[in-house]
Amino acid sequence: MLKNNNLLLASFVASVAMLGTGAATAQDDKEVVTVVKVTGENWFTRMEEGVTLYGEEHDGIGTRQVGPARADAAQQAAIIEDLISQEVDALAIVPMDPSTLEGVLRRAMGRGIAVITHEADSLQNTQLNLEAFDNAEFGAHFAEDIAECMGHEGQWTSFVGSLGSLTHVQWADGGEEYMAQFPEMELVSPKNESFNDANRAYELAKEILRAYPDIKGFQGGSAIDVIGIGRAVEEAGLEDETCVYGLGLPQDTSAYLESGAVDGIAFWDPKDAGYVMNILADKFLNGEEIKTGDDLGVSGYEDVTVTDGPGEGKIVRGQAWVDVDASNWSDYPF
Amino acid sequence: MTLYNFQSMGTQIPELGLLALGVMLAMISGRGGIDLSGIALANLSGVVAFMIAPMIIAPAVSPVGFLLSFSAIALGVGVIGGAINGMLIGYAGMTPIIVTLGTQLLFTGIAVGVTGGSALQLGYIPVIDDFGNMPLWGVPRTFGVFILIALALAVLLRYTRFGVHLFLMGSNATAARFAGMRVKSILFRTYLLAGVLASIAGIIIAARTSSVKWDYGTSYVLVAILIAVMAGVRPEGGYGRVTCVVLSAIALQLLSSFFNFMQISNFFRDCAWGLMLLLFLANTRVEWSDYVPAILRGRGE
Repeated sequence: MLKNNNLLLASFVASVAMLGTGAATAQDDKEVVTVVKVTGENWFTRMEEGVTLYGEEHDGIGTRQVGPARADAAQQAAIIEDLISQEVDALAIVPMDPSTLEGVLRRAMGRGIAVITHEADSLQNTQLNLEAFDNAEFGAHFAEDIAECMGHEGQWTSFVGSLGSLTHVQWADGGEEYMAQFPEMELVSPKNESFNDANRAYELAKEILRAYPDIKGFQGGSAIDVIGIGRAVEEAGLEDETCVYGLGLPQDTSAYLESGAVDGIAFWDPKDAGYVMNILADKFLNGEEIKTGDDLGVSGYEDVTVTDGPGEGKIVRGQAWVDVDASNWSDYPF
Repeated sequence: MTLYNFQSMGTQIPELGLLALGVMLAMISGRGGIDLSGIALANLSGVVAFMIAPMIIAPAVSPVGFLLSFSAIALGVGVIGGAINGMLIGYAGMTPIIVTLGTQLLFTGIAVGVTGGSALQLGYIPVIDDFGNMPLWGVPRTFGVFILIALALAVLLRYTRFGVHLFLMGSNATAARFAGMRVKSILFRTYLLAGVLASIAGIIIAARTSSVKWDYGTSYVLVAILIAVMAGVRPEGGYGRVTCVVLSAIALQLLSSFFNFMQISNFFRDCAWGLMLLLFLANTRVEWSDYVPAILRGRGE
């Protein structure tokens, strides 16, 4: 076994040596690193466009995006640990699981690194958290479309990825609240859990169509809910009778948007979110304060709302949803 | 390279290192021994301890007492989980890879069931956070704990009857049985020990992240095996050294941090890990010098 130990020793020495060379690379520019949940997903590839664009458009600041190859909170935390060691100037993070990052982010802030987060309004150890919109408003926005499309009367239902997904539940509740003003609208079997599985959403939608033959409205929760609902609606041949709205991605949903099984989707553009996170990081590093009513110069973030977060930090909200239907889905390459 | 760099890496090593030690024990025991359930048991330990510990001592009353009761319950879960693996493999004679794959799903399933899938937050408890994140005399405390446990394990394997029998059994189970060793009991205790190591990893994860969740570190299964194989532990059983596993865990962490520092894609990291696993496995099997011409070997026939 001696030779095997030699191999281990060699790789040990080699990795120490490589680490020594690695530490020598430093930059004069301010360095802002965006850490996403996982690399290679369409959503975060689109976000990277925004991140890179900000660095290209602004001098004196270097931006890049990193993320684990697999969606694992431990890997994301390890990447952030190493970025703290490298003493970057600011971190812009889309947490896989906000609670697991509290400790490491507290340490980042303790070492003078600015911490900006996205989609983590429960996080305590952050300086600025960016939300594309108020979740209740987003839900109400879908409900408005559905009510309009149904002529303000009839049965409707809502979907969520899971009851544990806080934002999805907030959308469903926001929709329900909006619908309360129309006495003719009847909510049946609310908050169906699709578990982020298009097949499950399809099965559920089929069951609902069977149980409530007169149902007209569907509000999707997770981004794939509308796909499952759309397939069930298409199979039942009810494209024109039903109104399906929800979170969705243009390319994934395009076939159902074309056939009319899904009437409209909305989402927030990750490219803008990535761009705006870097704006916030830049402003924060320059000591500028963000106030309610500020215009960040990006569509949807022209009149942001700033509120206190659960910790020391602040939450910045835009109204950055993008509506997409059969006419304009092809404008979005993801 | 600053002191902080090393401290940062030091805090990242223990959880993986402990899981790798568990894998090493399982591998030494032979018969295709492996423990795939490590990280699942670690998470389950954290989850169960988090649910029960506040009922015994509230963290606000006595943070140290909370940490102790938290650790005790987590270790208890580790013992139970390890015992389940040990019973099925040792006494029921089932194949380790299938058993631990099954218990991995079982432990994960229980953790999802009791938490409903969401993370449980410990909140900011200074004592626990210090334990997880703050160095003592320049050394991260969790890293210190890891080294102490490794030392204790090394002594156990080297100087106790259990340790000696474990290696003999791993080399040749049949011979060990006919020599009068209690093979079943040794297997049982081996997997029990691996379970305890996993639950210590669970405590460290909880302290470091101030939270417990069922799917933390799902990528650790492969990496723990890689560390063990890289350390020269024989997958067929009968050989493995604790020192090498510790060094191997450190080397892998250095390499991983190096990839991050050099901004190398994280997909390449997975690829590199796979390649290294195969390379080190091959290295235990192949006598490389056979392929070197005799004249280069520097000695005649």
